[in-house]
Formats: sequence, structure tokens, C-alpha cells
Amino acid sequence: MGADSGPGAPAAVPWRKVLYERQPFPDNYVDRRFLEELRRNIRVRQYRYWAVVRETGLIAQQVSCVAVFFTLWSYMEQGELVPSAVLWVCLGCALLGYGLYEILGGFCVRERTRLADLQSATIFLAFTFGFSPVLKTLTESVSTDTVHAMSAVMLLAHLVSFPYAQPSPPGSLSLNAALFGSVCLASRLPGALHTFTMLSCALLVFALWPCLLHRVRERAEWSFPWAAVLVCLAGVGGLGSLWPEGALLLSLALLTLTLVCPLLLVHLQRHKDNIHGPWDEAEIREDLSRFLN
Amino acid sequence: MPALVNAHRRVNLLVVGYRIRATSQKSLPFKCCNTADSGLLVGRWIPGHNSAVVLAVIHYPFIPGQVKKYLSELQSQTQVDLTVLGSWSMPKEGQEGMDSFLKDLSTIFPQKCWLQLSREIGKRGFTCQVVQNNGRLLQEREQKNGDDKIILIHYDQRKVMLSQLHPVQDVGQKSDVEASELRLVFQTVAQSQPLFFLDKYDDGPLKLSHWQSEGREASIIAELLKQASVPVCIFLTWLLSLWHWLCSFRILHLPPVLFISSKLSTCVQSVYRAVHFRTVFSPKKAATHVEFMRKANIFVSFLVDIALGLLLISWLYRENRISKLADTLVPVADRVAKELQELLEWLMGAPAGLKMNRALDQVLGRFFLYHIHLWISYIHLMSPFIERILWYVGLSACLGLTFALSVLSDIVALLTFHIYCFYVYGARLYCLTIYGLSSLWRLFRGKKWNVLRQRVDSCSYDLDQLFIGTLLFTILLFLLPTTALYYLVFTLLRLVVVLFQGVIHLSVDFINSFPLFAIGLRICRPYRLAEGVKFNVLCQEPGTPLHLMMEINPLKCSSVLQCYRTPTYSCYPKDSWAGLCKKLFVGELIYPWKQKTDKTD
Repeated sequence: MGADSGPGAPAAVPWRKVLYERQPFPDNYVDRRFLEELRRNIRVRQYRYWAVVRETGLIAQQVSCVAVFFTLWSYMEQGELVPSAVLWVCLGCALLGYGLYEILGGFCVRERTRLADLQSATIFLAFTFGFSPVLKTLTESVSTDTVHAMSAVMLLAHLVSFPYAQPSPPGSLSLNAALFGSVCLASRLPGALHTFTMLSCALLVFALWPCLLHRVRERAEWSFPWAAVLVCLAGVGGLGSLWPEGALLLSLALLTLTLVCPLLLVHLQRHKDNIHGPWDEAEIREDLSRFLN
Repeated sequence: MPALVNAHRRVNLLVVGYRIRATSQKSLPFKCCNTADSGLLVGRWIPGHNSAVVLAVIHYPFIPGQVKKYLSELQSQTQVDLTVLGSWSMPKEGQEGMDSFLKDLSTIFPQKCWLQLSREIGKRGFTCQVVQNNGRLLQEREQKNGDDKIILIHYDQRKVMLSQLHPVQDVGQKSDVEASELRLVFQTVAQSQPLFFLDKYDDGPLKLSHWQSEGREASIIAELLKQASVPVCIFLTWLLSLWHWLCSFRILHLPPVLFISSKLSTCVQSVYRAVHFRTVFSPKKAATHVEFMRKANIFVSFLVDIALGLLLISWLYRENRISKLADTLVPVADRVAKELQELLEWLMGAPAGLKMNRALDQVLGRFFLYHIHLWISYIHLMSPFIERILWYVGLSACLGLTFALSVLSDIVALLTFHIYCFYVYGARLYCLTIYGLSSLWRLFRGKKWNVLRQRVDSCSYDLDQLFIGTLLFTILLFLLPTTALYYLVFTLLRLVVVLFQGVIHLSVDFINSFPLFAIGLRICRPYRLAEGVKFNVLCQEPGTPLHLMMEINPLKCSSVLQCYRTPTYSCYPKDSWAGLCKKLFVGELIYPWKQKTDKTD
């Protein structure tokens, strides 16, 4: 149906783009102004390679966190780490992290008081300590393969559903999946204290570390890549002491993630083909709260 | 349907009805009744239809003024508008000239239409002529057009008088639907009962012929019973009021007593029976057919109940059966407890290779074992008194078989009380687990239940809520197989007991509600309960109108049961199968044989 080329299209009366009037044109007639408001790719961002590489550091460090946790668990299961020592180290790290958080925050007005923080910490510790004997017996009758498979699935779900765009309040599903996986793993350890230690470590690694990292990114942008690299090295190193092939696999994965994927992203931008026009959903740009008063 | 009906019974009555309709058949009745002498036809015009019902014949000699007086007396007595319909002539020797006399009668009793039925010697059928107001013979006009015909229908007066047409309509209620012709006919005959009290041996001024003109029949025994029943009813009503006064004591209305009495089926049954007795023994006569049938059904089923109960007593108290029963009761209870203990030991191990949480298993198993131990001690404590208790309880069967069955159901409930307790514990635990799991699963995914909108919404939880929620979710999930297994086992046991009790309750319900009197009536006197009528052709000669015989079609047995079933505190399961399965899955307590109160009756 070309413009102005249909048979029986009298040129005397101009065609108007309305449907509520009877016009001498057929219903599906269009003129030469058809699709003149079509725009292509108006919102395509121009990615720069090294900026993207910098951002992928977050994903890489999260994968390494999981590797670090796994390393800790392996050592505790083999009995090479004493739970009380690990507990003290965790406590020290927690205090250090809390201090760093406060310093970077600049002592400005906080939404939670220190008392509320203390309360939260007490609840965590009390609950975990109280439930650790129960948690220890949970997977007694389940076979080892099932437990390992469940934990792997849960940690994978944690990585997939992690809110990389806004990690500061950790997302529900990712945190819950990580905790479920760590409970499954922790119940395999030989004693109740081991279970308690493992869960405290899980809390530190999965719940509190992302908040600190986010604060670091906000305030001291320059130190973020160094922190990410440090975590990745720790992960690879820890895994390497247990299982060298695993370390090799992990480093390969991290390199792919950090270097190859951004390349793909930048390279494939030229295949983008988005069309925009007046038929898109309207977006409200201005602030309408002035109508509320 | 041809309208008119005539009645005659055992021969002797002639009734005629006719109907004029533009292009349809007219009906006339006829049949046997050829021995009534000539006279006036008395009956009723059916309003709205061109038909008439003939009820009786008034013979010569009569004085028209007395006839009119008698008819107006009857009208005020029966509320039926009886009128003189026409004349009946039966030719006899020495009575020539009767025809013209009969024709002149139409001037004395002015009517819109005047029927003239006559019997000719040698013919089987009657002839019928209809005379209109202006004196013209209608039949002549009909013979020209050939449209209007008259049909004569014969009916058995006594049967129609005693019969009740179903579906029963309330007499007092003004139905917006017009009563059908048949219903009007039945009503007319039933309400004209005082007309049939005058028989031919009376010395009054009028001589009538109808089905009872040979004399009224009555039975002495029935009359004596009727006279005696009034003081008996008054005495029994006084006894009932005494019982009600006893039951209204304050002490019996305390909440615990009320609760227990609502659970024991014996108490429920006795309350139900008391309500029935109030209906049956009230000295008032039953006003409508439905009330009468209800009273009769209750009375007969009560008698049968008592008879069966006495039979049971005579069987039970012979040959020392009671002590034998008591001797076997305690060992049976012991045996049941031992079986339960073995079952729990099995569950505490690894039943069927399932993965149970050992600690929880041990806790639950020990808890239930302790309960069973308590129960056994209680039974052993009671064992010396059981025989005496059973002896006195067995006597209660003289109040009826339903009573005995209710007592049996209560005894079973008391003996299996521990199974009920276990079921409640297991169900509550399971219900809590399921409820907690579903709520925490929503938390796991970051959603919560919006009570206002009744839907699932996303929600941003705090860190500590997430942490504790996940821990609890994990714990509940891994403990689920253990609780589910205990729940399953105890639910199955409970269902077995419930099934047994349900069978007992169903049989009690059946005995309570089965309308024995109505079924007996249907079998012995089927014309009393009528569903409709059917017609046989009696005589179809040319020159005379068509004669049909009307017979009553009795009500089907299934309709009798449906119509006259005494409403009981219905014991049917109130959940459908799907609802029951859902309740079992979620862990709600099920009471499938819950009894509803009489308030909805």
C-alpha cells in the first residue's frame, strides 16, 4: 500500500489521519508522511571499554566471596581451623568494618541509632547461638550428595539474583538463598559451635560486606578496584590451597567475566535496533507532587 | 382435560357434568348408577372452567323452599357454593309426565345453564341436554355445528373425598397460580363431607342419594380410641412440661455442661425426641393434611423404635450377656493401647525408610507414649465398675433403639478419646508447620500477604527479619517430614473411628426420618395419596355422549419418601470431597458428621 498510489484515491480532498470521519479513501490508506516520526536508537549509550571493566569488578568480587566462604567451610570441615579462633577473627573483622563504615559515612545523621544496631547484633547472635543445636541435626538423615547439590543451587541462585545495581540493602531472595545454602553446609560440620561460627561468617560475607563495599564505592571511588582485586586474589588463593584445578577454573572465569564480557558488550552495541515513536508509553518527567497540596 | 366429574360409588350415583366450550369436547360423566330415582342434581359449578361436579340427587317429593334452605345451610357450613345443577330422570312405570315436570323445574331454580340427564331403558349410556337461560336447547345448536360435545366422567366419591392431591397446597394460602380443575374437583368433594351425612334412613324433609346413602359406617374401636386419646394427650403434655421445667434448671445451663451435652449424641437425640413428642401429643387436632401426616409418621416411628428397643433388651439381658460384654471390654481397650504403643515405637525408628529428624521423633514419640500410659491406668481404675454401669446403661434401650445406638456411639467416642487427643495434637502441629512454611516462603522470595487487598505484594524487609525468617524457614522445612508422618498416622486412625460413628449416626437418622405411616398408607390405601387421575372409556355409543371412568393414580413411592420425610438434625457430611481433601492437606481439624440444629428446619 504505497502512499498516494492506491487506486481510487482522489487528490481533490486531502487525506486526514482521523477515523471518526468518513473519507473517500479506504480504511488502510496512508500518505507519504507515513512513519515520518519514527526514530531509531535515540537512547543508545556509548559504552567505553575500561569503564565497563571497572563496573564488572563488582560481579567478579561477588563470585570470589562465594569462593572465600567455601574455602572457610572446607577448612572447618577438615578440622584445620578451630571455631573459637575463627569466631574471634570474625568479631574483629566486624568491628573493623563497622568503624570503616562510620568513618566513610562522615559521622553525619544516620537513619538507625547505634542502639538499634546493637539490638540487631544481639538478636542475630542470640538466635543463631540458640538454634545452632537444632540446625546441626537438620540434615542428619539427608545424604551428602543431596546437601551439596542443594547448597550449590542456592549459592548459584544467590549470585544470579544479587541486586548488582543497588547492593546496599541486600535483596531478599539473594540473601535468603545464600543463608539457606550456608545453613545446609553448616549443618554438616562436626559440632554446634562450628555451626554457629559458620553462620556468623555467612552473615558477614553475604549480608554486611556488600553494604560496606557500596559505601566505599560512594565515598572513595578510587579504592573500589583495589578492593575488588584484593577479594578476587583472596578467593583464587584460598581455592588454590585446597584444589589447584578449581583455582585455575575460577581465575579463568573471573578473567572472562572481567575482560571478555565487556568486550562483547561494546562490540555488540552496533547491532542494536530500537525504534521509538509517538506510540511509546508516556513517561512522566516532571514532579507532580505540586498538585497534592 | 374434560372437566366434569361425577361421583358415584359402588354403583348408585349418577353424576353428570357438562362443559361447554367453543370448539372442544364437553365432558359428561356417567356410569353405573342407574338405580337412583329421578330427582334434582345437586353439586357445584367449577369456577373458571365449563364444568360441574355432581355430588348428590334429591328425590321426590320435595319442597323447593326447603331445598333452598338446606342448600344455604350447607353452604355456610362447608364454604362450598352448592347449587342445584339440573335434573335426573329415570323412567319408571307410573311416572309418565315426569319429563315435562322436570323441565318446568328449571324455572324454580334459576340457573345460567340447566342440565337434563336422562336414562333410557335399553341403552347403557345417558343422554344429556343443556338448556340455557333463554330456554333454547343448546344441543340442537350443537348438532348443527357439531362443535360442542359433552363428556361424562364417573368417579368413586368416597375415594376422591378421602384422597389428597399432591403436590399439597396450603388451604389458607392464596395461591397466585390458579388451582387446576382437578384440584378444584378434589377440594369440592373433600369439603362437602357434611352433605354426605344425610342418609336415606333419616326422617328429614329431604331424601338424598349419594355414596353413603345406605348408611354411615363406623368402627366402635376407632371411636373409643378417639375419645380416649384426648385425656391421654393432656396427661402426656403435662409430663412433657414437667420434663422441660426440670431441664430449665440453672445448673444445667453452665457452659461446660452445655458444651458436653452438645457433643454427646444421646443428649441431642433426647432433645430431638422431646420436640417430637410436643408435636405428637398436643391435644389439638391436626389442621392440615401435612400436619396430620407428620404426627402420624412420628407416632408410628416412635412405636416401632420402642418395639425394636425392647427386642434388643430381651436379647441383651438373656444368658448373662451383659457381664460377658463387660469382661471383654477391658482386654479390648488394653489391646488397642498396646497396638498404639507398637505403632509409636515403629514411628520412632525409621518407618518405611523415611528420613525423620531423630530428635523431634523421640520427643513426639515419648509424649504420645506417656499419654497412652495415662489412659491405660485410667481404664484399669474403672474396670470394677464397668459391669454395673453397662447394666444400667443397657436399660436405656427401652426408650428406643435410636437411644441405644446413640449410647453406643457415645461409648465408642469415650473409649477412643485418646485417639482424638492425638489427632488434635498432630493436626495442630502440622497446621502450624504448614502455615509457618507458607508465610516464610513468601518472605524468602521478598513478598508478603496484603490482608487488605487479599493478594501477595512485594515488601522490603529489614536485615534481621530476613535473617531470622530464613533460619526458621530452613528449620521448618527439614522438620516437615516428621510432623507430616505423625499427622498422617493419627488422621487415619481418627478417620476410622469417625467412619464407625458415622455409620451409627446414619442408621439413627434413618430410623428417625423414615415415614413409615406414609409408606403404609401408600401400600394399603393407595387412593389416599393421589398424584393424578387416569381415565377409562366406559361407553361410547352413537347418539349418547362419551362416558369415561376416572381412577386415582397413586403417588410414586419415591415421591412419598421425598414428601413426607421427617426433617431431622441432618447428619450428612457438610464438606464435599474436594473440601475435605483440602482441609486434610492444610491440617484443619475435620468434623465431618457435624449435626446442625433444628433451627433451620
